[in-house]
Amino acid sequence: MPGKSRRDFLKTTAVIGAGVAGLSSSTAKAAPKNILSEDRMGVLVDTTVCVGCRNCEWACKTAHDLPAGELHSYEDRSVFTEKRRPGTKALTVVNEYSSGKNSNLPLDVKVQCMHCDHPACVSACIVGAFSKEENGSVIWDTDKCIGCRYCMAACPFQVPAFEYDKAINPSIMKCDFCFNRTKEGKLPACVAICPVEALTYGTRTELVKIARERIKRNPDKYVDHIFGEYEVGGTAWMYLSSKDFSELDFPKLGTNPAPGVSESIQHGIFAYFVPPVSLYALLGGIMWISKHRKELDEEGKL
Amino acid sequence: MKKIIVIIFLLTISLPLSAQKNPGKDHAKSNVNCKTCHVCDVPTKDDPCLVQCPREKMKTVYESPDKTVDVVSLDELSKKYLPVTFSHRVHAQMSVLSGGCGTCHHYNTSGPIQPCKNCHQTSRKRDDISKPDLEAAYHRQCITCHREWSHGTSCNSCHNLKTTNKEYQKEEVKKKVKGKVHPALIEPAKIVFETKYEKGKMVTFFHDDHTKKFKIDCTSCHKNETCLKCHDVNKTSNEKSKIIRAQKSLDEHHKKCFSCHKEDKCESCHLGKPSEHFDHKKRTGWVLNKFHDELSCAKCHGSKIPYSKLDTKCVNCHKGWNIENFKHTITGLQLDETHAQLNCEDCHEEKNFAVKPVCSNCHENFIYPRQKPGKMVRTK
Amino acid sequence: MNHEEINPVPIKHKYFTPGVFILLIIALNGLIFLMGRFFFGLGSVTNLNDQYPWGLWIGVDVAAGVALAAGGFTTAALGHVMHKEEYNAIIRPALLTAMLGYTFVAMGVFVDIGRWYFIWHPLIMWNGSSALFEVGICVMIYMSVLYIEFLPIVTERFIGKVKLPGFLSGLNNFVDKLLRLLDNGLSKTMFIFIIAGVVLSTLHQSSLGTLMVIAGPKMHPLWQTPILPLLFLLSAISVGFPMVIFESLLASRSLGLKPEMHVLSKLGSMIAPILGIYLAFKLGDMFIRESFVYLKEFNTVSVLFSIEILFGVIIPLRMFLSHKVLKSPLFLFIASALVVFGVLLNRINNFVVAYNPPYSTQSYFPSFGEISVTIGFAAILILVYRFIVLNFPVISLPGLRTAQPTKYTIKGAKK
Repeated sequence: MPGKSRRDFLKTTAVIGAGVAGLSSSTAKAAPKNILSEDRMGVLVDTTVCVGCRNCEWACKTAHDLPAGELHSYEDRSVFTEKRRPGTKALTVVNEYSSGKNSNLPLDVKVQCMHCDHPACVSACIVGAFSKEENGSVIWDTDKCIGCRYCMAACPFQVPAFEYDKAINPSIMKCDFCFNRTKEGKLPACVAICPVEALTYGTRTELVKIARERIKRNPDKYVDHIFGEYEVGGTAWMYLSSKDFSELDFPKLGTNPAPGVSESIQHGIFAYFVPPVSLYALLGGIMWISKHRKELDEEGKL
Repeated sequence: MKKIIVIIFLLTISLPLSAQKNPGKDHAKSNVNCKTCHVCDVPTKDDPCLVQCPREKMKTVYESPDKTVDVVSLDELSKKYLPVTFSHRVHAQMSVLSGGCGTCHHYNTSGPIQPCKNCHQTSRKRDDISKPDLEAAYHRQCITCHREWSHGTSCNSCHNLKTTNKEYQKEEVKKKVKGKVHPALIEPAKIVFETKYEKGKMVTFFHDDHTKKFKIDCTSCHKNETCLKCHDVNKTSNEKSKIIRAQKSLDEHHKKCFSCHKEDKCESCHLGKPSEHFDHKKRTGWVLNKFHDELSCAKCHGSKIPYSKLDTKCVNCHKGWNIENFKHTITGLQLDETHAQLNCEDCHEEKNFAVKPVCSNCHENFIYPRQKPGKMVRTK
Repeated sequence: MNHEEINPVPIKHKYFTPGVFILLIIALNGLIFLMGRFFFGLGSVTNLNDQYPWGLWIGVDVAAGVALAAGGFTTAALGHVMHKEEYNAIIRPALLTAMLGYTFVAMGVFVDIGRWYFIWHPLIMWNGSSALFEVGICVMIYMSVLYIEFLPIVTERFIGKVKLPGFLSGLNNFVDKLLRLLDNGLSKTMFIFIIAGVVLSTLHQSSLGTLMVIAGPKMHPLWQTPILPLLFLLSAISVGFPMVIFESLLASRSLGLKPEMHVLSKLGSMIAPILGIYLAFKLGDMFIRESFVYLKEFNTVSVLFSIEILFGVIIPLRMFLSHKVLKSPLFLFIASALVVFGVLLNRINNFVVAYNPPYSTQSYFPSFGEISVTIGFAAILILVYRFIVLNFPVISLPGLRTAQPTKYTIKGAKK
């Protein structure tokens, strides 16, 4: 265009660059909470202690205003014939497994959100509706969620559930570590009701110590593995078992945080917006050069 | 003689006491919580800071089950439910074959039985989460066994809801368990196992021989029996235990027998047909006479099980016998006057009393037992 | 001038044909199921559940939709950024496809998310670590950019021809002036949007690949790799031109026009190297991670992967290397369609087939309702495309070329 200088182009680029930089700084501010407090809480689940009474299922539903029914109806053990998963109607379920050779007693495994230290859902959520709180809970914010269900695709434990049958305000449902109860100084509902205290509530650091001690004292009883100590970078809920965890349907997971690779790619692409801005400048350069060369060619011909 | 009795008496008293005082060098590594015996965190040799024991009237985990308290009311935690009336004696009796009092009263071996709440705090929200709280401690003791044979975790199998006629219910429950004793166990005479061992499919186990004849303590085999061994609400439990048995390894199968029959060949138990009761003559080649037959095994073989093999020399047991005080009559043969004058080794060569005596030292053509050096006083 | 100038015009052709009626029925069927989704929730129409949170709508409407709209940014890069003016004839149709494609991607997202009325949340609630957030924001901005890029076509259509009905006719002059002002302003700043469009596309095409990286072991190792974003970007670039050829040939067939073979052949000759690079990365990745062991088993996963590579990449790659193919409209169409199919299958594979949750009790297959909505959207897209090319200057007619300078240039390039 006549009368325009190259400076115009540079100026425009600079303005866009500044805008983009502005975006990046506010991203940092609005990012979801992902606090890893030194004394975050956790639960140690000892599957060898659990008796499969399913009182925790009842307590959980009651604490979360889900239809729970009578407590004694949970004595029905026929539910154990199939393996259940936490869902929209129950945020925690207990499954039963044969303990194998040396005992007549079955192993019961309570399943719920593991409350990862580096949660995939927190990293994945498009609007940052998930957050890792100071007390270790990974919670979900109904005011933000758009229902995209990326958290469900991301979760390595396949925990979040979605209310597919709701047309308006369907929710993501998962264990919230009784965030509202613990805020008031109460114990999580399942921990409070457990008759045998198969669920020990305490700081994660102390629970790891206790778990190690239990394994050390009873090496014949436990497998030497605290599930959740290192899996996906550590989880707030940890398990002890007398049987290899893969036989109890625990997923085989590495020690790297679930969102690790994804986040490093993201942060690589968006390292302070340098790559996109450089690409922008590069393309601008190419555009300018190719146009310029074309015009020189044309002039030469004329 | 009196001296000896006094010494023995003192020894028996002081042995358990000294065991209390010195539990051994490596006791720190044992499966006992340090706080059971020590008050402070770091006990030293000079200041072991031991828990005080009221030594007189001390109830320990070695108490005989029959002498224990009949009924215990567990009422520390009753909020929703009435106190649980626990039939302590029946459970104590059952515990004999499954680990003893220590199964429940764990970490109690060295002192008086402690109330559970000494260690187990009553509130779930607490500082020391290394041990379960009181509610969990109770429940773990009960449910772990109860669900094994009941296959359920129903609360009302132990608990009664608090209702208006509390007292009535309490009495009812107490009536049910008061004075209850565990019925005497019916012991099988023999069990015939059919095995897969090709050279001899049948193993006959004479339970009565082991208990009555060999006087082996029940607990030396039945140490850690599960409740399921006797109790199961499911009738089909026998099949279940068979399956469990089938899953056992070879060593596990033979573990109980091998604790004594380690040296035996397979074929000594695995036979093609059911075997017969223990016969001292057949098994050892030594015929037990009238007197020996009545003795307990331990009288000759000592109290250590498995019984060790003895040789056939009388003086092994009859240490005081000599030519002066031995009355030959007890062998069934009353020596006539001539023979009574002889030395033992004149007939019993090299003092070997197990083999036939020889007559040829003095007599020609005399052979025992056709010719006898006296008269038989009884027939065997 | 060593290149031909173009003259896009609204095509004169009747709108309704039997094919259009069939498309209308398909569209209507889709809309009926769509109503079911809005009145009774996602569960009433889809086969989605807690095990399979994402299905056909995300795999095809969104992921494949974004990939197949890649013709927009690839031709923009070729025509405007690299300034190859000989391709100008196909830029506008490609731009229109991209614009409509992204519109339907947005629609796909809109119907798939549980709380569609909160679709604006990502604008103010940010999560920088989320790949989906990046995709969302980029798609939103890029869609706006595409609309801005399309605006000159609208102004061109109406400048000098503003005829408002009835009493509004008094405003004719004013609207015309406004349009001219807009056109002028756009032509001066358009280069910003064009470059932004290419950058944004590069970003979100790759981030679309990052999406499934976080699923980790839940995704089959044949597809799960840390270089997924690169593979997505490369496959998007390689499907750009085939998609343009595909729809150009389809449109000329449908509208009774002579295919612009001279442009399309030249475009076709550039596909083979791009596909080659994509294939090299795809196979290289497979050999480095040794994921080829999973091809030894014969199952759905291995078969679909093989089809994707063989029919979607290798066969069309070989075809595009042949001169005979480049000269023949039929073969060119088949080769392009294969690439389009390959990328479509790749996106379905990545988002649906490869996804294998640890506690799955049944496998996922889209419901009739889901399929209806997806093909319904496709039908509506074709109908809208048809309407626009009949009423706006999008398609250039060969033989009608008159001199017209390239519209968007970088300022300062001219002395």
